Amino acid sequence: MPQFDLHYLSTLVFWSIVSFGILLFVLRRFAFPVILRMLEEREKKIRNDLDQAERLKLEAQLLLAQYEAKLKSIHDQARTILEAASKQALLQLEENEQRMEQEAQRMLAEARSEIQRDQLQAVREVRRAAVDLTLLAAEKVLSRSLTGADHRRLIDEAVQETARQTEP
Amino acid sequence: MGNPLEHFELHTLIPLRLFGLDISINQAVVMMWVVCAAVVLFFWVATRGSRLVPTRLQSVAEVGVEFLRGMIMENMGEAGMKLFPFIATLFFFILFSNLLGLVPGAYTITSQVMVNACLAFAVFLLSVIMGIVLHGTHYLSVFVPPGTPWWLTPIMIPVEIISQLARPVTLAVRLFANMTAGHTVMNVVLGLVLLGGVTLGWLPLGFTLALYLLELLVAFIQAYVFTVLATVYIGAAIRLH
Repeated sequence: MPQFDLHYLSTLVFWSIVSFGILLFVLRRFAFPVILRMLEEREKKIRNDLDQAERLKLEAQLLLAQYEAKLKSIHDQARTILEAASKQALLQLEENEQRMEQEAQRMLAEARSEIQRDQLQAVREVRRAAVDLTLLAAEKVLSRSLTGADHRRLIDEAVQETARQTEP
Repeated sequence: MGNPLEHFELHTLIPLRLFGLDISINQAVVMMWVVCAAVVLFFWVATRGSRLVPTRLQSVAEVGVEFLRGMIMENMGEAGMKLFPFIATLFFFILFSNLLGLVPGAYTITSQVMVNACLAFAVFLLSVIMGIVLHGTHYLSVFVPPGTPWWLTPIMIPVEIISQLARPVTLAVRLFANMTAGHTVMNVVLGLVLLGGVTLGWLPLGFTLALYLLELLVAFIQAYVFTVLATVYIGAAIRLH
């Protein structure tokens, strides 16, 4: 096999060492540090980003919980306010009703007593008018012919008659 | 049909001597330069203005580096990261040698057993150095695995020495054999294409295509195998049992 020809041994060994050595030097000096640094940097960045994402997520969850709690408390508050308002309105309504009832009752009673008063007054007036009229009529008719006793009797009859007629 | 192994023959292009040592330039040496240039070019383009959101080539380089880092972490532990440049250079040098060797007309340097032997010897040397640096004289206990009965020691020591020495040899030979065999088979089948002519030639031609794809796979696998074994061997020295 041509590969076992020792004629080229020294040159192959020499150039292998030199070429490999130079390549090793160049790559070690320029290529590998750049790539290794880049890999490390990316790894760090990814880890940082993941950490940050995790942190942000936790923060977001916390915020969400806070908002939910706040929302719930606002809901509760709203409900209490609403309940209080409706209770108040109901109370007001009841009170109004009661007041109006009382008012109506009062007005009714007033009206009633006024009517009664008016009635009594009317009766009294009618009576008085009837007495006057009777007296006048009796005077005119009987002034010449009747005695004092007849007068009295006639007057009483007339009064009784009038009273019976004007009885309510 | 020519000799299928002719492809592997070297020819001096520029005769050169250094302190009486023959360092003439031949196709393999030129190819080494091409491979080195290609690896450097690849990393230059990949890391040029490297950014957090990678370009396509940057991603490829990063995947490779990440993969090698994982391999080192697994087989050698944190201490092995000091050898990362060596392991990574080893991987990319072999990978590009294998891949560029598949370009028609190009020379496959990893089919030269001496080149592989240099790399394998470097791995062996590094494992010994790491072992001695990290464990001092205690490193000699690799020759007597724990649990060995005392009376087996005289047998275990030579066995372990052979096993240690066999590692670089097998590393080198495995890569060389795979590359040589693949290219030889492709050469032979390609010869059949020429023999078959227009009427029958397309049959082996299709086969050559399939073989070519297989060789592409082998190029990656062998680079991986060489590197992973290198990390395992050095890792064994670092961890010492």
